[in-house]
Amino acid sequence: MRKILVVDDSYTARLVNRMIFSQKTNYVLVSAVDGKEAVERAKHEKPDLILMDIIMPRMTGLEACRVLKKDKETEKIPVILLTTRGEEQYVQEGYASGCSDYLTKPVNDAELLDLLKAYLGE
Amino acid sequence: MIGTGDGNGPSIKARRIEPADGNSSMFSRTDELHLRVQRLSLREQIERNHFLLVRLNAASARLIEALDHGDVFDAIAEIIANLIGSEEIAVFDYCPANQNFSLAWSWGVETDALQSFLCGAGMFNRAVQQGASQFRDRQPIATLLPYEKNLTACIILKSSREIAGVIAIFGLLPQKNNLEWADYELLKFLETYAAVALQFHRLQTKQTAP
Repeated sequence: MRKILVVDDSYTARLVNRMIFSQKTNYVLVSAVDGKEAVERAKHEKPDLILMDIIMPRMTGLEACRVLKKDKETEKIPVILLTTRGEEQYVQEGYASGCSDYLTKPVNDAELLDLLKAYLGE
Repeated sequence: MIGTGDGNGPSIKARRIEPADGNSSMFSRTDELHLRVQRLSLREQIERNHFLLVRLNAASARLIEALDHGDVFDAIAEIIANLIGSEEIAVFDYCPANQNFSLAWSWGVETDALQSFLCGAGMFNRAVQQGASQFRDRQPIATLLPYEKNLTACIILKSSREIAGVIAIFGLLPQKNNLEWADYELLKFLETYAAVALQFHRLQTKQTAP
């Protein structure tokens, strides 16, 4: 079964993703609350995809993405950044950090599911 | 009567209706396409409603969590930022006796002019007068006060039928052009349950105060 690592310091965001994914997909969900924990969990859990917020305590999503992309163990895991930051500067920094896609909140749930299916299959 | 029941088969044979000409066949395909579009649209409606219910459920769970953690203001901000799309929020207490608003909490807003103000004549006033939340998109208003210029919505917080305060949502995130159907539903939810959660929080603070 496909596994997604959801990284967000917002309990609400993690909860919405958990509810939607559990009802609409067969993906296994693991979560982390900041970039530092995301890096640790990514190495341990080996997820098929990481869905990550940017503005988080301890380590931002951008920093975490850069770390993940430099590590042989995790470099191939697609990272989708999902954030309230829609400014061009953040979008550019996001792609420069190595993310595969960049989405802004509030996200359209149906579109997010379609995107995940495009990466992971049904 | 369709069948005779005497073993000789039906008296009226079921006939497949064939299209009379090429045009009818074309019309039928158009009809089929039309029905498919209708079905897709209905499915989309149900799915949209399902996603809204998920969001309401998550918002409700976050408010309940906030009661235990004492972070109701953060919970309101989190719900509005993640599910609606604004990071400019302020919560005001309202005193009906002197018609005064006082700032209780804010996030991402310049609050110098917002510490304490009278009801005035703008959106805040209309929310109080009508006892109903105000949305700039739905109820444009000519007499906005200076600090209401960037105000998107004024959500009333009712406690025991009295207006106890408002949640003011100022600018939306750059990628969010306007409030949508699901946003209004979420804000309606906050109107009631954020008020209850805030009331709980205040009682708890009062109880634990030295």
